[in-house]
Amino acid sequence: MSTLTLTRRRGLAAAGWLGPVVRRLGAGVAVLWAAATAAYLALLFAPGDTVDVLVGDGLDTPERRAQIVAEWGLDRSPLQQYGDYLLRLLQGDLGRSYILQRDVGEILASQIWPTIQLALTAATFGVVLALAFALTTAGRRSWLGGLVGLSELVVVSVPPFLIGILLLAVFSFTLGWFPVSGDKGLVSLVLPGLALGLPIAGVLGQVLREGLERALEEPFAVTARSRGITEWRLVARHALRHALLPAVTLTGWFTGFLLGGAIIVEAVFGRPGLGQVTVGAVTAKDLPLVMAVVLISALAYVTVSTIVDLAYLAIDPRLRRSR
Amino acid sequence: MKLRWGALTLAGVLALAACGAESGAPSAAAGGEGAGGDGGSLVWAVETQPITFNPHQWGQNKARLLVHNQFDALIARGKNGEFLPWLATSWKVSKDGLTYTFELRDDVTFHDGEKFDAASVKANLDQLVSPGYNAAVSAIQLRNFDKAEATAPHTLKVTLKAPDGLFLDFLSSPYAGQISPKSLKSAKDLKAGGVDVVGTGPFILDRFTPGQEVHYKRNPNYNWPPTGAAHQGPAHLADITYRFLPEAAVRVGALTSGQVQVIEGVPATEIALIKSDPELKLETSLNSGSAFSYYFNTSRPPFDDKRVREAFRDAVDVDAVLNSVYQGTAKRAWSVIGQGSPQFYDPSLEKTFGNNPARANQLLDEAGWKERDAEGFRVKDGKRLTVRTVNAAPFVRDRRDILAQAFQAAVKQSAGIDFQVKIVDQGTAQKAIDDNEYEIFENSRGDTDAGAALNLILPGGAAINRTKFQSDELDKLLTDASVTADLAERKELYAKAQKTVVTDEAILLPLYVPADQIAYGAGVTGITFEPVSGTPNSAYDVRIGT
Repeated sequence: MSTLTLTRRRGLAAAGWLGPVVRRLGAGVAVLWAAATAAYLALLFAPGDTVDVLVGDGLDTPERRAQIVAEWGLDRSPLQQYGDYLLRLLQGDLGRSYILQRDVGEILASQIWPTIQLALTAATFGVVLALAFALTTAGRRSWLGGLVGLSELVVVSVPPFLIGILLLAVFSFTLGWFPVSGDKGLVSLVLPGLALGLPIAGVLGQVLREGLERALEEPFAVTARSRGITEWRLVARHALRHALLPAVTLTGWFTGFLLGGAIIVEAVFGRPGLGQVTVGAVTAKDLPLVMAVVLISALAYVTVSTIVDLAYLAIDPRLRRSR
Repeated sequence: MKLRWGALTLAGVLALAACGAESGAPSAAAGGEGAGGDGGSLVWAVETQPITFNPHQWGQNKARLLVHNQFDALIARGKNGEFLPWLATSWKVSKDGLTYTFELRDDVTFHDGEKFDAASVKANLDQLVSPGYNAAVSAIQLRNFDKAEATAPHTLKVTLKAPDGLFLDFLSSPYAGQISPKSLKSAKDLKAGGVDVVGTGPFILDRFTPGQEVHYKRNPNYNWPPTGAAHQGPAHLADITYRFLPEAAVRVGALTSGQVQVIEGVPATEIALIKSDPELKLETSLNSGSAFSYYFNTSRPPFDDKRVREAFRDAVDVDAVLNSVYQGTAKRAWSVIGQGSPQFYDPSLEKTFGNNPARANQLLDEAGWKERDAEGFRVKDGKRLTVRTVNAAPFVRDRRDILAQAFQAAVKQSAGIDFQVKIVDQGTAQKAIDDNEYEIFENSRGDTDAGAALNLILPGGAAINRTKFQSDELDKLLTDASVTADLAERKELYAKAQKTVVTDEAILLPLYVPADQIAYGAGVTGITFEPVSGTPNSAYDVRIGT
């Protein structure tokens, strides 16, 4: 192989990566803008008036209403308020929470890290357990396979809320191995991570196993077996690559699941994080905060799906060549 | 290869998690140390995270116990509702009820080292009425406030625009928690409160992790508890952590497994379990203010007809419903004012109404709701006898949704009334109120002075008068009761008002008196309730060990 061909190949490879990345980034910005606008419209047309929200539970006088309208600039047209919102957003200003009376950016900054920790832990539990389930049971009809399949079904069907309470009852209240609540280092991440990660492991495990079993029936598997390769090596090194694509496709789903599930898991375990902030903001119609949470969720989706797309390229070289 | 990547990712995540973990936090169950003497750490699990730590912005009864850890008010209240000295040692009211002169303690220091004096109280009052700060307080509680002057370093003169019998109650409320004037100016997030909004209280807020916990350490210089406190000098506990655990089952589990020493908000379903555990203690206190009641919208059919209001009330055996929902733990209410406000409660209303389905059916027949449709509901002029309650989900607590469902079944069975229970988002609930599309309004209020609750709910055009009931006579009773500070006279006026709304006009159905429950480990002592509000006290008298 000459040096020239090698350089050309590298250039091609870079071009193959660059195009999709740029396209994805552009699409990502568009998605963010659309999400912000959709959230704005949804809240605009939701029943009830922002002034009512700020008035809260009781104490409702015309003077107070007038003060609130003036304080928050609610007398401007929705279009003006929307324009202002986008402008401020571009300057990195997420506004001020109606209810908590603090800067939204600050609220999120203080709450996002515990949620990321939780989500990453749960994702790791989910992926590792799913791989373990699938690799140990794929293609073997045994009692273990049956048991794992049943467990997968159970953890998929039971809501994270209940899984959380059960985990707490056993491992915290009875055995005392883990603390109930809070953000106190690794040990406090185990149970919430499991509560959120087990349903992911259930779904992902089923998909992976099915993919593995299909791959094991392909001609290449027969060829490999005929070369005398061990069954374990066949599953782990050859079949897995084929089974990964459908599993990776699910990543988008489980990003959503992690974001939604974190809300419940954080409440059950008394953990700090975006979850409780989000619930409060949505129920109280705390516009600036809701918009910010929507943007962050959209950002998480965009980031994850970009990574997923790039992961396709890494897993399946044919996709790289065709672009 | 793939497996190795998995392992690497796991290691990375765990390392990442470790970096972000908070260090130096006290261990969950640090209780027990310092038994017999002062000191020790206590962990207390609470249900609700306060929206704000600024006492001036206070609005959640559930946050009361936190406010008085950090902030002292000018006045305290005794068991019979009497006003007791706190940061104010004495006060005089002029004959016309317009001038209040307060003598203040001269030995009090804020947590930031500032001296507490007449000028700082003035700064607090001026702040409270400043535009855009707390519109509710300036429009309601301080509507009669004119000005405050420091006539001597520790003498404050307050002038009102009109006499106000509730002014002293305001000064004993969390709203009157004294904030250092320096922090009023310099705090980063004044309205949200926190570590930089400081008071003079027995504890200093030094750490707040939203969604997780708030931590207070003892104020070593504290020596000005309210009259009636169980001890003098600094608090017993070296520090206290309030952990936010919104799930009731989790709070109870945390207590029984010793991870926390005190919990607040014990669900009815767990009370038997806690009572049967010799290691645990349970205490209940009725809240002050108005009882939890169904208020009838008298401005539209069918409740514009008093007979239908009485029929709805008589159709149900309230005791039986409460028993099935709260398993014997709820206190039956008989008036708009609950038994938690004994100074104004009118016990003569007890057992004067209710649980009389025969009468209910007779009244409905008389009111013209004679026919029945296929489902057994009463009908008049082709319209079903439907009443709706519309509630915003965030404000539904105490299993009130279940209670409403039990009512739904009861009134259908005994009187053929179609009671519809709607739990919706806040905007939709507000819209139903604005459009007058509801028949029942559910409410209870935790005001220390029950009169404050009545002023908001009963007078024509009052802030939350959702019954739309209007009577000049009733309005006059309530106004007179608000102006005078004479307790005996007020009691008499409120007795008349209660009889009017509960029995004469039947504009509401009182259900139960909201209560606070606290459960705690046997090693904890000094857990008490504020006598007038009925809510848990601050941690000042709490200690670990006997």
